[in-house]
Amino acid sequence: MNFDFTPEEQTFADEVEAWLVENHDPVVMDHHRENFSQLSDTPERRAFMKKLAAKGWLGMSWPKEYGGQEIEGVYEFILTEALARHAAPQIGKGVGIIGKTLIRHGSDKLKQEFLPKILSAEVEFAVGYSEPQAGSDAANMQLKADKVEGGWNLNGQKMWTTSAHFAEWYWVGARTDPDKSKHNGISLFLIPMDHPGLEVQSLPTIGKDTTNQVFFEDVFVPDDYLVGVRGRGFQYIAEALDLERFTMFTLSPITNRTQVLVDYAKTSKRDGKPVRENPDTRRLIANIVTDTAVSKALSTRFLCAARGGGKPPTIPSSQYKLFTTSLSQRVCDEALDISGAAGTIREGQELAPLLGRFEGAYRATMNETVGGGSSEIQKNIIARRHLGLPKNF
Amino acid sequence: MDLDLSEEQEAIRDMTHSLLEEYSSVEAVRIAEDDPKGVPEALWKQLSEGGLVGVLIPEEFGGGGLGMVEAALIYEEIGRAMAPTPHFVSGVMSASVMLEAGSEAQKLAWLPKIASGEAVLTPAWIEPERGYGEVGVQLEAKREGDDFVLSGTKLSVNYAGVAERLLVLARSEDGVEILLVDPHAEGVRLTHYLSQSGEPHYKVDFDGVRVPTSDRVGEAGNGWATWDTVMHRGIVLLAAQAIGGAARCLEETVEYAKVRVQFDKPLGAFQALAHYMADASTHIDGGRVLVHEAAWNAAEGRSIARFAPMAKLFACNTYQQTTKVCAQIWGGVAFTIEYDVQMFFRRAKELQLSWWDTPYLEELIAADVLD
Ligand SMILES: Cc1cc2nc3c(=O)[nH]c(=O)nc-3n(C[C@H](O)[C@H](O)[C@H](O)COP(=O)(O)OP(=O)(O)OC[C@H]3O[C@@H](n4cnc5c(N)ncnc54)[C@H](O)[C@@H]3O)c2cc1C
Repeated sequence: MNFDFTPEEQTFADEVEAWLVENHDPVVMDHHRENFSQLSDTPERRAFMKKLAAKGWLGMSWPKEYGGQEIEGVYEFILTEALARHAAPQIGKGVGIIGKTLIRHGSDKLKQEFLPKILSAEVEFAVGYSEPQAGSDAANMQLKADKVEGGWNLNGQKMWTTSAHFAEWYWVGARTDPDKSKHNGISLFLIPMDHPGLEVQSLPTIGKDTTNQVFFEDVFVPDDYLVGVRGRGFQYIAEALDLERFTMFTLSPITNRTQVLVDYAKTSKRDGKPVRENPDTRRLIANIVTDTAVSKALSTRFLCAARGGGKPPTIPSSQYKLFTTSLSQRVCDEALDISGAAGTIREGQELAPLLGRFEGAYRATMNETVGGGSSEIQKNIIARRHLGLPKNF
Repeated sequence: MDLDLSEEQEAIRDMTHSLLEEYSSVEAVRIAEDDPKGVPEALWKQLSEGGLVGVLIPEEFGGGGLGMVEAALIYEEIGRAMAPTPHFVSGVMSASVMLEAGSEAQKLAWLPKIASGEAVLTPAWIEPERGYGEVGVQLEAKREGDDFVLSGTKLSVNYAGVAERLLVLARSEDGVEILLVDPHAEGVRLTHYLSQSGEPHYKVDFDGVRVPTSDRVGEAGNGWATWDTVMHRGIVLLAAQAIGGAARCLEETVEYAKVRVQFDKPLGAFQALAHYMADASTHIDGGRVLVHEAAWNAAEGRSIARFAPMAKLFACNTYQQTTKVCAQIWGGVAFTIEYDVQMFFRRAKELQLSWWDTPYLEELIAADVLD
């Protein structure tokens, strides 16, 4: 039993931290963007990602033959948590979902075209699984892909494609085999985001940034750009989710916000009395700090379960996501309770306590218990696969 | 970072598990409930001979000389088995007070006997209408010559009926003292009362009890510092106990939910119930790692000022919440004496209220973070 990083891991963590302090840039790193700070969506952020790539920090867990270092996922975990702690863009979908899937299942052509660009941060992706009728039930996607001479013709609609308004490439699931069963009729495609027939419509959110709907009208995709084996798309999607556990949902923003709350309680007054002396405030903060330690314990659990490249730690990571997303919302909720009436002042104005950090975070964290597999879906997974309860929901 | 147990640690856990399976069966636990002695003799003998009572006592004093991680593993098993034993009051709290503050002579006199199970010692700490902090210790220890004279009342003195000595927290003009008192001494009166869990609790009245100053454990007025240090280690083990109880209660409930059928379906097929169990398992699995982290930090000699109260707070809340939803899942039978789930239900609440309760633990954490 050991709760410390190994000396090598600790050295890496220290190196990353020092580098991030040295490369601090308020334009790139903005805590007020909350979850959206992970996107590499402006020229400054893309330049930052190139610097990260030059350090060799993209694709560390990839096989050496594809430019990786074949090191344990824990290094990507350390890096991702550090980036999130600094509100910097994160290593993202390219290295994780797309890169890892191409390495396992992609043709040589696709590997050669995309893997080097991913490692050098020259390409951004959008991921299109969700549709109006396919949310939690992602396998219900209906975007139509009809076989035509030399390729596929796509028609239909995607929902919630984050990054579609700035990405170069679109990683899309579509139904190629409507006669096959729900899970066996889907294939994955790579499409240039500026392809004629693709229409991106912004879908503004209360989380201060936007996601998108994307409409497909006769979008032609050459055969070469169907990823892997026709009809295996849903299996690849599920597998990539499992491979992505290390960079999935970070704890650092919660630890950051808790620290901001603690500092606020220590330095502010209400009716002339220090806020930290209020017994309710003390109770709330004691429980937030405790639950944050539990989240960290749950993340230690999935890190350890994943060591040595064994089976993906599906259950520990479901438990971590379930517990941590609800804690994340609670921290914001209780921080607003502690700030009282002033908590209602919209973020970004001088009048607001902490410039409205918690007002903004309260809105921005709303989706955490829905996106990336909702809390209910995580509980279904735990109930069935961990506790062995009957499958009936 | 790794959560693996060493071979030795696994062996200790497995040995404790099978020993308790045999000597702390549900039947044995039921018989011990409400009994003034409260510990099955065979169980105590096995725990002592197996070296488990002396787990934290160094080998030079006849103990096993093991660390906090091993002790936490043992306590998770104690929690699972609901083992009725003065292990905690004697082998953990009293032994640790002795180790922390006792004179060489006191250690030699008591630690080997504690380790071998020959003597049970138990702290007398809580007072009527007083809280868990230092100010709660008001039982008077008046200095008269070479004696302290004790007057006052203690509650929640667990297993006093089998104790050879009480470790009485009392207040002298110097502050809090910890005094070794013979429960059979003149002026000491023990009254057994029933507790929620059925573990033997005693009210102890002290009426002018004379205690020689040589029976003080530690420096004058230093009793609270000793107690506070020992409590921080003790509550990590109680947190492990809570996780063990919660884990077993959930396991039994999950099995029941697979076989009990209503509306033509097993209960576990109702998502409302399945989600209770998924939540409980998440809290238990996370709580266990937090407890291990606290125990490991203690074993490494690092501060557990924050980890220890966090571990007990979370583990006891988890135990209490888990037994509550488990009872809900069992339905009406949970309310009957015949079914076992009520045994976990009562123990969970008692453990949450005992040895520093929720408000006290929250305040310890808040003070560490905010002050
Ligand atoms: C800001 C934002 C960004 C996103 N980015 C992307 C992206 O880039 N790419 C992408 O593909 N998708 C993206 N998504 C979509 C996201 O993954 C879905 O929102 C999510 O999968 C839930 O689907 P839904 O919104 O359709 O809700 P629904 O699936 O309709 O769920 C509604 C409610 O029903 C519950 N529910 C559903 N099924 C069950 C069940 N079996 N048992 C119990 N309860 C159930 C859910 O938990 C939820 O509470 C994004 C969403 C948002 C809001």
